[in-house]
Amino acid sequence: MDFDNSKEWHWFKGGILVSLLSVASYFIFAAIANRNYPFGVTAGFGYLAGKFGGLFKALSTNPVIQRFATKPDAFIEFFTIVGLIAGGYTASRISGTFAAEVIPDLWKRHHGPSLWKRGLFVLVGSILLGYGAALASGCTTGNILQGWAHLSLGSMVAGISFFAAGILAARILYPRIGWKQ
Amino acid sequence: MIIIKIVFGLAVGFLFGFILTRTGITKYPRVMGMLLLKDFKIMKFMLTAVISSMILFHLLGDFGWLRVVPKNLDWGKLVGGLIFGAGMGILGYCPGTMAARIGEGKRESIFALFGMSLGIFIYALTIKPVKALFLSSDVNGDISVLLGINHWFLFVPAAILFGAVIFILNKKISDNNRLQ
Repeated sequence: MDFDNSKEWHWFKGGILVSLLSVASYFIFAAIANRNYPFGVTAGFGYLAGKFGGLFKALSTNPVIQRFATKPDAFIEFFTIVGLIAGGYTASRISGTFAAEVIPDLWKRHHGPSLWKRGLFVLVGSILLGYGAALASGCTTGNILQGWAHLSLGSMVAGISFFAAGILAARILYPRIGWKQ
Repeated sequence: MIIIKIVFGLAVGFLFGFILTRTGITKYPRVMGMLLLKDFKIMKFMLTAVISSMILFHLLGDFGWLRVVPKNLDWGKLVGGLIFGAGMGILGYCPGTMAARIGEGKRESIFALFGMSLGIFIYALTIKPVKALFLSSDVNGDISVLLGINHWFLFVPAAILFGAVIFILNKKISDNNRLQ
């Protein structure tokens, strides 16, 4: 499948709009709930995990599970995830890029069309993503888009670690892609 | 109150997802292109957003309209960051874009959504011994307080630095991703 990049917004437009969204949401939330809330998505996944954990009797007393299942941020961010799905759907319908796809083409070209192989990597990758985001208290959205803008020392370290490990993992997965531009 | 929270969460997510998809940030070859140092559209997008929100946040903060609370530094930021980064490299996108991709019809991302929740679930079960290893100490995340200087002395150089990175990347490497 060919990607038509001409339909994409320019990075500058996207970046400015995201910054307006992040400042506006912070501001609005401070106004309606009188507390500081930088928007993020990680806690929303935590909410899902918390609800899932609540299904098991032995786990429902786990303090982390309880906190995720009851934290107000986690509740909001769960709906942020729902909103993200709807936003992605609407945008891709408008730009005509909506396409049912199971495995990304780039992956297929280098690693073959096996569903099991990609599935295994998706599972391992997403578990690491969840564990790491919880431990670093935020993902790319919370730690870079918000944390770097606040010049948080913690987010600076987290963001640089994201890229360091990400670059290494990408190089190991795609050894045939050279360094030259 | 609960309705306001739901509407607020949905609205923020919808707009964020719309922008991410419309700008092409959610594409697997773009994320991998960035990590393979071939395509820097995402990097330019992120740094633009960071510079712009950095200025807006602190202007509004100085007017007393909102209060910025920087995240503290602890070992979890480094170790968690490295684990997250490895996951991002293996998966090819991050949590926010994962959700937007589900809306775009990318079916493997539904599977990733469960995997990510499972990862947080494992975190909940194992965090006690892990935290004990990392010491529970943390450092105040506000760099301007640590250095004892006015925050504008940090933002202006940071904005110039990020701006220079954007400028150089934009000049040297085109957005026409050859990995696609």
